Amino acid sequence: MLEIDRLEVRYGGITALRGISIEVKEGETVLLVGANGAGKSSLINAVMGLVPAESGTIRFANADLSSLSCDRRARAGIGYAPEGRRVFPSLSVTDNVLAGAFGLGRARQSEALSWLHESFPLLAERGNQLAGQLSGGEQQIVALARAMASFPKLLLLDEPFLGLAPVWIARISEAIRAMQRLGTTILMTEQMARPALKLATRGYVIRGGEVRRSGPVAEIRDLALADEYL
Amino acid sequence: MHGIISAGIIGIGLGAQYALLALGFTLIFGVLGVVNFAHGGFYVLGGYVGYWAVSSAGLPYPVAVLAAVVATAALGYLFELVFVERFVDEQLATMMLTVGLYLVMSTGVLAGFGPEPADFAFPVTGSWHGGGFFIPWANLIVLGVCVLAIAAVYLVLYRTDLGRALRALADDRPVARAQGIRPHLLFPLAFALATGLAGLTGAVVTPILTLSPHVGDSVLATSFMVVILGGLGSVTGSTVAAFVVGLIEAYSDVYLGGSKGALALFLLVLLILIAKPSGLFGREARRA
Repeated sequence: MLEIDRLEVRYGGITALRGISIEVKEGETVLLVGANGAGKSSLINAVMGLVPAESGTIRFANADLSSLSCDRRARAGIGYAPEGRRVFPSLSVTDNVLAGAFGLGRARQSEALSWLHESFPLLAERGNQLAGQLSGGEQQIVALARAMASFPKLLLLDEPFLGLAPVWIARISEAIRAMQRLGTTILMTEQMARPALKLATRGYVIRGGEVRRSGPVAEIRDLALADEYL
Repeated sequence: MHGIISAGIIGIGLGAQYALLALGFTLIFGVLGVVNFAHGGFYVLGGYVGYWAVSSAGLPYPVAVLAAVVATAALGYLFELVFVERFVDEQLATMMLTVGLYLVMSTGVLAGFGPEPADFAFPVTGSWHGGGFFIPWANLIVLGVCVLAIAAVYLVLYRTDLGRALRALADDRPVARAQGIRPHLLFPLAFALATGLAGLTGAVVTPILTLSPHVGDSVLATSFMVVILGGLGSVTGSTVAAFVVGLIEAYSDVYLGGSKGALALFLLVLLILIAKPSGLFGREARRA
């Protein structure tokens, strides 16, 4: 579903990704794990079109993404939950979710909303509250729901456990499992490897903008856990 | 007591006019991050389009108002699309562009209509009187139009997909784009909505105040004061602040008079900003 080939990303004179290649197949949950500054978020942002690729290609559903703007990539079927949640603070919880379903039409939006309310009751309970007033864990649920509201083919999750208490990590993990049960393909990054490894089918350990090891979760576990403490 | 109520009625009328102006101003700042120095120009243009439509084209006043809204909204849409769009993230460039547009607009109406105030009278005369009060029908109609327009703006912003997308863009543009929201499609629409509101205000308010090529200067100053007091980029803040400014202006005018009234208004606004520097509804470091 997603093929990244020799991707290079630079910020001024600093190279964040050095010719990285990864693949995500339909229905998989692939984990990018690595220490802070390894280049995980740069890769997610490059796939979403939020940072330009210096070289290399990104193909999604057999189409080259390089000429597509960020908003067109979203409409092509990529959902995105950014690092640090970044909910729309002045919008209500319901409006945040509906913003993720922009342009789908009223019927499809209602369908998304009732499905997400069923999966995450918090969204219905706090529907009218401003998202900026929620706790970090609650905001993460909103960010996940917003990313799912357009029924994406591929979901990009950037550090979904960042800064969360264990109780919320468990809840977010359950939310991600709910998305997996729906057959959603997921590419997620996480510095906290331990809970993330329980969710993934395959993974890539990234260091210094390069892939150091890849394979099924069992094969990368040791190296991934070593990076967790870096 | 009679004086207090009278001043309050005047203040609410002024507040509704200021709210309509400030809503457009704050919408452009909130969504695009652009300070529209031409906002007063769209008010003036709305007034002159209305005046021309009535006096030269012979159209009925309501149609003239509609023409003013359409003309100012269309100009705003095109101006954003052709000029602002490519420099939207460059504050100095957008400042120069909007200042330039204001100069073109004010000199344009000066060349077209001359420096003297236009004879643009409200078509309804007479007053409503009851309980010892005399309120001109014109003022009541203008107040009604302003309140309806404010309600319509709120409906658009808080009850439609377009409004939700505009508010999302104002909160976090990159993340909004990552949800499939298209700024290149919505920025011109936001600009048109804002300039159309300024044009509407110009067409309905100038017949009860005055219409001359440079009335836009004071409109811009008032809009600035209202949106800063309300909290830059806050729609609700601007609406509340507009009524606060309108009421302060009316009471200080009635009880202090002339220049003392204007001075009192600025001092009170200054005091509010000292107590709450981010404005009544502003966040500490609001990003457009």
